[in-house]
Amino acid sequence: MSQQEQQDRGSSLSASMSLLTSLLSRPLDPGYEAAARKKALEGPRRRSVPSSIVLVLFAAALGALTVTAAITLRAPQPAVVQARTVLENEVRERSAEVATAEERVAELDAEIQDLQRTALEASDPELLEQLALDELVAGAVELEGPGVRVTLADAANAAESDIDRRVHDSDLRVVVNGLWAAGAEAITVNGHRVTALTAIRSAGQAVLVDLVPLTGPYVVEAIGDPERMPTRFAGTPAGDHLALLRAAFDIPSTVEPVARLVAPAGSAPTLVRAAPAGPLTAVEEES
Amino acid sequence: MIAVLGLVLGIVAGLLLEPTVPAGVQPYLPIAVIAALDALFGGLRAKLDGIFDDKVFVVSFLSNVVLAALIVFLGDQLGVGTQLSTAVVVVLGIRIFSNAAAIRRHLFKA
Repeated sequence: MSQQEQQDRGSSLSASMSLLTSLLSRPLDPGYEAAARKKALEGPRRRSVPSSIVLVLFAAALGALTVTAAITLRAPQPAVVQARTVLENEVRERSAEVATAEERVAELDAEIQDLQRTALEASDPELLEQLALDELVAGAVELEGPGVRVTLADAANAAESDIDRRVHDSDLRVVVNGLWAAGAEAITVNGHRVTALTAIRSAGQAVLVDLVPLTGPYVVEAIGDPERMPTRFAGTPAGDHLALLRAAFDIPSTVEPVARLVAPAGSAPTLVRAAPAGPLTAVEEES
Repeated sequence: MIAVLGLVLGIVAGLLLEPTVPAGVQPYLPIAVIAALDALFGGLRAKLDGIFDDKVFVVSFLSNVVLAALIVFLGDQLGVGTQLSTAVVVVLGIRIFSNAAAIRRHLFKA
C-alpha cells in the first residue's frame, strides 16, 4: 500500500484519474508484489500440508467453476429460443410453399380459361358469352376501371398493445360495405379481391382478408363512378365511422377518386356441399 | 505450482462431469468467466515476473469471481445490472489487456 501512496502522491494526474491510472500502470494484483516482498524478507517458507490441500481444493473448485461456466455459455441457446427459431423457419417455408402453390393455381386457372374459350368458341359461342358474364359477376375475372381509393392507417403513435388506435377488421368491413352501398362494382382490400365468399376478419391483432393476414396501411379500392361515389360514400354510415376514427382514435383516412384501378380476379370459390336447389341451367350443366 | 495443478484438476473434472448450471446463476456466468480470465492472466504475468504465489493466485481468483458476481447481483437488484456488468467488463478487460501486453513483452522482448 505504501508504494501505491507514493505513486499517488508523485503523480501529477488528477485524483479522478487515479482508478484508470492504477489500472493501466499496475494491472498486476498488488498481492503478488506484497507476497514476493514478504518472501524476500522472511526467506522461502514451506507451506504446511493442510493449507496446501485447501489451496488445491480451492483451485480445483475454481477451475471446475470456470470451465462449467464456459461450457454453459457455449452451449446451444435455450430450448425456448430454439423452438421459436424452428417455428419461424417453418412459417417461412410454408409461406413460400403457399406462394408457389398460389402461382400454380393462377397458371392453371388461366389455362382452364384458355381451354374453355377455345372449346366453346367453336361449339357454342352463346354459352361462352353467358359464362363470361357469370364470371364477371362472380368476381372471377380481372377488372379495371375508374373508381375510389380509401386509405386507412394505424394511428402514427399507436403502441403495439394500443388496440384502440389500430385499424380493426370491423373498420374495414364498414368501409367495404359503405363502398358497396355507394355503388361500387368491384372492391379490393390491399390487392385482394372481395367476392361473395370473402371474409374480412381478425386473428389476434392481424386483419385477415380471404384468410391472408394484412398489415397497414389498408388500401380499399372500389371500381365505380369516381365522381359520385365519394359523395355517396360520405353519406353512408362508413363516412361517419371514418370521421369518428379520425376524431377519437387518430386513425387517419383518405378518400380519393382514381382514374384507373385494377381489381385482380378473386380466388375461385370451391363449393363442396352447396348444390343448386332449382333446375340446372345450361351453363351449370356444362361446367 | 500446486494451485495450477489443482486448477487443471478442476478443469478436467468440469469437462468430464459437465455439471448443469441452475438457471438462477446463468446471468453471472459471463462475468465470472471474465473475472477468471483476469486472474489467469494476472497469474501468468506474475509467473513471468518471477513473483508467482499460489496463495495469492487462488485468493485473487476467488475474490475476483465472487466480487464480480456480487456486483452484477447488486446491479440486478438495483435495476442497473447491465450498466454494472459493463463497468466490470471494462475494468477487467483493461486489466486483461495490459497484463497480456506485459506477458507479450516478457515472451517476445518487444
